[in-house]
Amino acid sequence: MWRNYLKTAVRNLLKRKLYTVINITGLAAGITCFILLALYLQNEWTYDQFHTNAAKLYRIRMDYGEKDQPVTHTALNFNGLGPVVKDYPEVKLMSRVYPYASTVKYGDKAVNEKRFIYADPAFFRMFSFPLLSGNAATVLNGPDMIVLSASMANKYFGTTDVVGKTLKINDRKNYQVTGVAADAPANTHLKFDFVASYSSLGEKDNWNSPNYYTYVQLADNATAAGLHKNLKAFIGEMMKGANRSGATFDLVPEPVTGIHLYSVAGNSTEAGGDIRYNYILSIIAVLLLLVAGINFMNLATARSADRSREIGVRKALGALRGQLFWQFMAESTIITFCAIIIGLLLAAILLPFFNNMADTTISLGFTNGYRIYALLVVVFLGTTFFAGTYPALFLSGFRPVQVLKGRMTYGKGGNIRKTLVVFQFATAVFFIICTLVVGRQLQYIQTKKLGMDRSQVLVLYGDHMNSKMLEQFKSRLLQQTGIQQVSASYDSPVAVGGGYTIDNLQGKPADYHLDITAIPVEKDYLRTMGIRLIAGSDFTNADIQDVLKADSARVYHFFLNETAVRSLGWEPEAAIGKKMVMNGRAGLIQGVMEDFHFASMRNKIQPIVVFPEYDYFGEILVKTAGGKEQLAIAGIENVWKEYLPGTPFEYHFMDEDFNGIYKAEFRTSTILTTFSVVVILVSCLGLLGLAAFTAEQRTREVGIRKIMGASATNVVALLSKDFIKLVVIALCIASPVAWYAMHHWLETFAYHTSLNVWLFLLAGGMAVLIALMTVSLQSVKAALMNPAKSLRSE
Amino acid sequence: MIQLQKISRHYPVGFGKNYILKDIDLTINEGEFVSIMGPSGSGKSTLLHIMGLLEEPSEGQYLFEGERVDKMNEKKRTQLHRGSIGFVFQAYHLIDELTVYENIETPLLYKNIPASERKSRVADVLDRFNMVAKKDLFPNQLSGGQQQLVGIARAIVAEPRVILADEPTGNLHSDQAKVIMQLFKHLNEQDKITIIQVTHSDVNATYGNRVIQIRDGQIQP
Repeated sequence: MWRNYLKTAVRNLLKRKLYTVINITGLAAGITCFILLALYLQNEWTYDQFHTNAAKLYRIRMDYGEKDQPVTHTALNFNGLGPVVKDYPEVKLMSRVYPYASTVKYGDKAVNEKRFIYADPAFFRMFSFPLLSGNAATVLNGPDMIVLSASMANKYFGTTDVVGKTLKINDRKNYQVTGVAADAPANTHLKFDFVASYSSLGEKDNWNSPNYYTYVQLADNATAAGLHKNLKAFIGEMMKGANRSGATFDLVPEPVTGIHLYSVAGNSTEAGGDIRYNYILSIIAVLLLLVAGINFMNLATARSADRSREIGVRKALGALRGQLFWQFMAESTIITFCAIIIGLLLAAILLPFFNNMADTTISLGFTNGYRIYALLVVVFLGTTFFAGTYPALFLSGFRPVQVLKGRMTYGKGGNIRKTLVVFQFATAVFFIICTLVVGRQLQYIQTKKLGMDRSQVLVLYGDHMNSKMLEQFKSRLLQQTGIQQVSASYDSPVAVGGGYTIDNLQGKPADYHLDITAIPVEKDYLRTMGIRLIAGSDFTNADIQDVLKADSARVYHFFLNETAVRSLGWEPEAAIGKKMVMNGRAGLIQGVMEDFHFASMRNKIQPIVVFPEYDYFGEILVKTAGGKEQLAIAGIENVWKEYLPGTPFEYHFMDEDFNGIYKAEFRTSTILTTFSVVVILVSCLGLLGLAAFTAEQRTREVGIRKIMGASATNVVALLSKDFIKLVVIALCIASPVAWYAMHHWLETFAYHTSLNVWLFLLAGGMAVLIALMTVSLQSVKAALMNPAKSLRSE
Repeated sequence: MIQLQKISRHYPVGFGKNYILKDIDLTINEGEFVSIMGPSGSGKSTLLHIMGLLEEPSEGQYLFEGERVDKMNEKKRTQLHRGSIGFVFQAYHLIDELTVYENIETPLLYKNIPASERKSRVADVLDRFNMVAKKDLFPNQLSGGQQQLVGIARAIVAEPRVILADEPTGNLHSDQAKVIMQLFKHLNEQDKITIIQVTHSDVNATYGNRVIQIRDGQIQP
């Protein structure tokens, strides 16, 4: 019996090639996208769950805020904290992690490695990063020891058998390789290529530079709450003498498994995930599958007229409804099975592109993807059942006599079919609108006047230069063609991170404190970045001399932005010359800057202080002349090699830093655009199929109309009208939903574009146009047919 | 064998009813070859469909071998349908996607007959109808007369007691029609299969041993 079902099914599918191709293509496209999204989401949702001790691993976050000011959460902590918590009874193991991009050199190969961290000896015992060689308990337990990933071992040595070899780090010290770790998986927030022993840093524990992550593994019977209690008591004791009434200070253990998606302090070691985007992507995945499934149902029921005779005959020969039901299910099974196989193949082929797009390193291997295969089985059964049941019930329910007498009503099931088409197109329109809005917001962000000029600014790594060297380097650079300005700063001007506190502000009460973002810079910073002053004057060389003195004799010159001055309740001019202290740096306010964006546009511009300080520069900023970038880069490279022959020359444009802030948004935009296109394509495939069958069913009508004198245009209009109506209804449904969703999304930005009517009109226009083109393909064919021919065949 | 008592079939029109069949009383005995004749729309086909359990009467009783069909449960009706009744259609109604062999095999599949027996029975029928060479062809590769032969082969393969034929030669030219009618006569006389055919043709009616005239849903005396 099953053989018979399958045989009929296969022959039916082969006979109706257009139908089969549309069906399988649509479904396969849906399944491909579904698999890719599912892989991505699985990766997102399993972050750091693979650690054997996952449930016991915590990172200690720092929360602080002055009285009546918002609390800041930061994952970065003081390196003094680690040794303190290590002795708590709740803590079994502790490791600090200090990310520090370093130049790694072996032979004549020298590369600036970004995924370079320092960690305490317990690191490999706490986290389940398997070692291919080396003992997890001892690989980091002395100074100048280093563990590298397998791919790095291959990159530098061409083999993973490298224990005992040495690597030169930052052109200063030799580190001995003590172990090789398997490459860190895609789903960990701690992606490393190199782990050096913490003791190599030779730093004293201190409580004034929060640059370290502190991880702990709880003791077997301990709880995070217990640890938190100890930490609270500790910080309370520490801040006792600080005279900060009403201020918040807290150290909070947060689970490592939640860092990627849930931490208020963010992932920080890489671009963070966002649970909301994950929900959105889950919905997209399911919608894609639904839209593809709907195609299937619609095409199957639309073909009912085609199949009705067969159904009638089979019933007359004694088939029961149940038997026919299973026969149609067999057909559905074949189609979904083909679609699943094609979808899986396509997904495998497209995975590298998707990884590139989503900035992940997901693989489709059986070991880490077994859940995906389980899911595929579910999708296979689900789709077969969901998409197959309705048509099977519908078709098997035909009454044989009506069918055999030719009294079959062709419009049957039409309303459900129309509803489904409306749903499909509503989805498509929704996606088009979302894509347009997200694209527009990103364009808005990129073109908005920032209050500074980041264009044509090259960024070099400044880690390797002291202030003396930098000065010489700078004067040499300025002699090169195509270079207009050179300056330096602690971190990127478009993503300033430093958190400071202002005290002892002249004209404010003694207990007044203001938490503020600040950035140490070189003297030409304002000029290089095109930041305008609205009060006061730019730095002079004398000012610089003030900060080059020994610590206690320094006088700092501060530049506040307008927002900062206003939040102090002052007019810009009134602030000039006021004395203040910022984290121990005594000085005076020398200027007030026009507001500029130094962080994500999700937030309003916050107060910021810019001040010259020559202790450390992370970035060297080179403003190049428009159109002469290549010349400038070549010039810089020459000078760089002269000064730092052992350090690879690397650079990027500040635009990249800027776009990096909106990585999640760009990613969402790319994913949305891609999948919108797929949804639209799949919906159109469905429409194409439906239009084909409608045209076929109405062959006789069209023939008669043509004999009565209808023109081809009349016929096309007649056949297209119904479909366009559906698309317009879809538009009416989708627009308010999209408006609501996008309104909320835009609200997450303090600075955002507006939702214009034309966006909706454009989306609607696109949908109608696409639908019209699809339907016309069939309508025109029907309209041009010779009526004598179509009527004869009746 | 077949007994129809006061059978009516109607459908609602406005406030009234439009009768297709009205108060039909008819008895057909085993081994008869009955021709039902009448103009278009007189209700012949509906009568045939009711006898073949494809349609249900609005009123009246239908007894098959003395048993009331409307009292039977679904299972028994299906058994009766599958085991005792074979259909032949004017438009042949072969399944286009199946070969001659498979078309003939289909009723046996629905009767859950084991594969080996299916094979031998289909082979017998093919042999008897001289169609062994054509068993792997699809319906569209056959002439109309050959298609109807397959239709009849398919109707008798399940060894029914009665064959219901709805204008079996309506789409055929006279030579082919003759072959088909002779085949029916042969089945009736040699295999003792009861045959009930609807026909327009007086010539075809002569092959049978009884003619029933229907007009406006009623049997003419």
